[in-house]
Amino acid sequence: MNSGIDLQGSFIESLQDLGIPAGAAKVLWMPLPMFLVIIGATMGVLVAIWLERKISAAAQQRIGPEYAGPLGVLQPVADGIKLVFKEDVVPTKSDRWLFTLGPILVVIPAFFSYLIIPFGQNLVITDIALGIFIWIVVSSIAPIGLLMSGYASNNKYSLLGGLRAAAQSISYEIPLALAVLAVVLMSNSASTIDIVEQQAGYGILSWNVWRQPVGFLIFWVAALAEAERLPFDLPEAEEELIAGYMTEYSGMKFALFFLGSYVNLVLSALLFAVLYLGGWEFFIPLSRLSDWLGVSETSSWLQIVTASLGITMTLLKAYFLVFLAILLRWTTPRLRIDQLLDLGWKFLLPVSLVNLLLTAGLKLAFPVAFGG
Amino acid sequence: MFNFLKQVGDYAKETALAAKYIGQGLSVTFDHMKRRPVTVQYPYEKLIPSERHKGRIHFEFDKCISCEVCVRVCPINLPVVDWEFEKLGKKKQKKLNHYSIDFGVCIFCGNCVEFCPTNCLSMTEEYELSTYDRHELNYDNVAMGRLPYKVTQDPIVKPLRELAYLPKGVTNPHEVPAGSPRAGQRPEDIMEQLEQEKEEKEEEGKEETASS
Amino acid sequence: MNLAEGVQIVSFGILAAAMIGAALGVVLVDSIVYSAFLLGGVFISISGLYVLLNADFVAAAQVLIYVGAINVLILFAIMLVNKGEAFAPIRGRWFRRWGTALVGVGLFALLTTMVLATPWSLAPNSAEAIEYSVVEIGKHFFSDFLLPFELASVLLLMAMVGAIIIARRDVIPEALPPEETQQTAYTLQERPRELVSMVSQSQPTPE
Repeated sequence: MNSGIDLQGSFIESLQDLGIPAGAAKVLWMPLPMFLVIIGATMGVLVAIWLERKISAAAQQRIGPEYAGPLGVLQPVADGIKLVFKEDVVPTKSDRWLFTLGPILVVIPAFFSYLIIPFGQNLVITDIALGIFIWIVVSSIAPIGLLMSGYASNNKYSLLGGLRAAAQSISYEIPLALAVLAVVLMSNSASTIDIVEQQAGYGILSWNVWRQPVGFLIFWVAALAEAERLPFDLPEAEEELIAGYMTEYSGMKFALFFLGSYVNLVLSALLFAVLYLGGWEFFIPLSRLSDWLGVSETSSWLQIVTASLGITMTLLKAYFLVFLAILLRWTTPRLRIDQLLDLGWKFLLPVSLVNLLLTAGLKLAFPVAFGG
Repeated sequence: MFNFLKQVGDYAKETALAAKYIGQGLSVTFDHMKRRPVTVQYPYEKLIPSERHKGRIHFEFDKCISCEVCVRVCPINLPVVDWEFEKLGKKKQKKLNHYSIDFGVCIFCGNCVEFCPTNCLSMTEEYELSTYDRHELNYDNVAMGRLPYKVTQDPIVKPLRELAYLPKGVTNPHEVPAGSPRAGQRPEDIMEQLEQEKEEKEEEGKEETASS
Repeated sequence: MNLAEGVQIVSFGILAAAMIGAALGVVLVDSIVYSAFLLGGVFISISGLYVLLNADFVAAAQVLIYVGAINVLILFAIMLVNKGEAFAPIRGRWFRRWGTALVGVGLFALLTTMVLATPWSLAPNSAEAIEYSVVEIGKHFFSDFLLPFELASVLLLMAMVGAIIIARRDVIPEALPPEETQQTAYTLQERPRELVSMVSQSQPTPE
């Protein structure tokens, strides 16, 4: 398998040619992808918010945002700017420090998880062996931030919302991790790159959706619950809890929560694409296509085409899932808290355990199809 | 053992059924996405109120005979009729001084309009009754005597027809040509048709008598 | 010393300082909620130290289990019972405090002597980093650490069964208290729900 474009290697090489030592060149390289990813994640969120508003409007036969920019695409930017310039109110009887720390603790893990999202063979910040496990680990920090802000607001709705959020995200982390584990079992590695590569070869037929028909459903339900999307948006249930743990927040701190929830949504969609929809792979295997067309795999224009197609495919798959989440939002009513916990512990957990067991058994029985 | 298996089977069946229902719901939502928006951009576009729209009540001072029927039929006795006896030669007559209805309290049921013996009360098509102070909604006889603005005559407002006044099969009022007829027949059309039928019958009767 | 080593030393210093500071905070801060949050900080700094030791999986597991599960549960417990009442100071509190401090300092001294006395096999360069530490850990679990691993799993299973039994009291048959003493709460009188099909059958046909 060809490695494709290696931006990092060429950047470091060119710096070394200028007479900079290798270590320093690497240090100079490091902030670039991080910066890019933060900007990319924020852009992804803006697109997701615009999509959410437009698709919601379409589902309700409204028009949605239309004045800010063509088709209202600048509306999320306008909202963001408004939130930045709003007064940052800290309630008098709240706990000032925890109140400020809460939203930060919620947002940082969400952005941190973008480290492992691959957009191509080399278009990933770090390809570490832990890979997908990092996401599960890092997203388990977020409930602390939620509890913190819920407690610090000194408000009953906030506290209830924070407790609900924490309970929900602990409960759904387990089925989520087990569903991911089944995929990891099949690809013999937790690295996101390896997971995608294991799905390459036969185009759409070799994607994990077909091999994990139960697993992807569990993953999607649990991911929606983790991102607090609508059938599971109990922590911020407007009718009962006003806005849950966000009740007392305004201005930039509220914007951080808002950003965090949408980053989580886009992140879940991206990871779903990576885990089950073959990541950056095209519907037809590209290497075979290039063989068939008689183009050399190492030609530079093919690599550029492959890389841009990879990014497009990943984003396309992810935004298809975002679309699905929005559709679900306007279809399903909100669960009660006991129904939510029942679904998590009594249905998803046993089903995901059985799924894991079946995957392991199938892997032993058919090592060809299930990654021996 | 079989009981347990049956339980598991039932559970699986229920799960599949739930998934099916969610799928149905999703398809309904998806179906709604391809429908055109029905939005009326309110301050710039307004729907033309129908003929029987129950809006703000219009009052004609000169027609009123201060009989207070409107007060009696009102669910909350809302109209305030301020009158006194006036000696007109030998006759004693009621003279109306003031008349007012508080539209912040009125429920626009139209009972007063229905029962007014002299038809001095009538419903208008005005429904934009927002004010900064609720006492401003207490209309006196002068305010109630004003005619409402017509949506169709307002130059800055684009009047749109309501759903029932659109041609058959059309749901979006924006691109309907001006003279297009509404769905179904208008009352005068029905009357005309009836009369035509009557004439035809009479002619038939004449022919029959002539032939026999 | 090259750049990487310098970064390592600096991050070790930061992590160690953060850990000790947070740990002291856990003990010394009056508010129990602050203590719980600082405990999360301690766990995260420990996980950072694991990362410095090339133990990536252990570091991740540290965050996942200690911060994501245990610390959140502690916070849960605190927030569900925290009434914010002022406790009356106990007599002889200073004695308890100083006693605890003495024991703590004693433990610290003991551990310090142990650390200093043990002949650590200090290599000038750290050992080769294992790329897939998960695989290595798994191999150890199923070979030389099999017994502790299985014992731990049995222990966890017992804890789980116990938790279920405590949570579901209706499983344990208890001697019911006599009827007279049983103070029942007022319940909403509700007609037992019938199935839809039965209702439609039992409905009298309107004549």
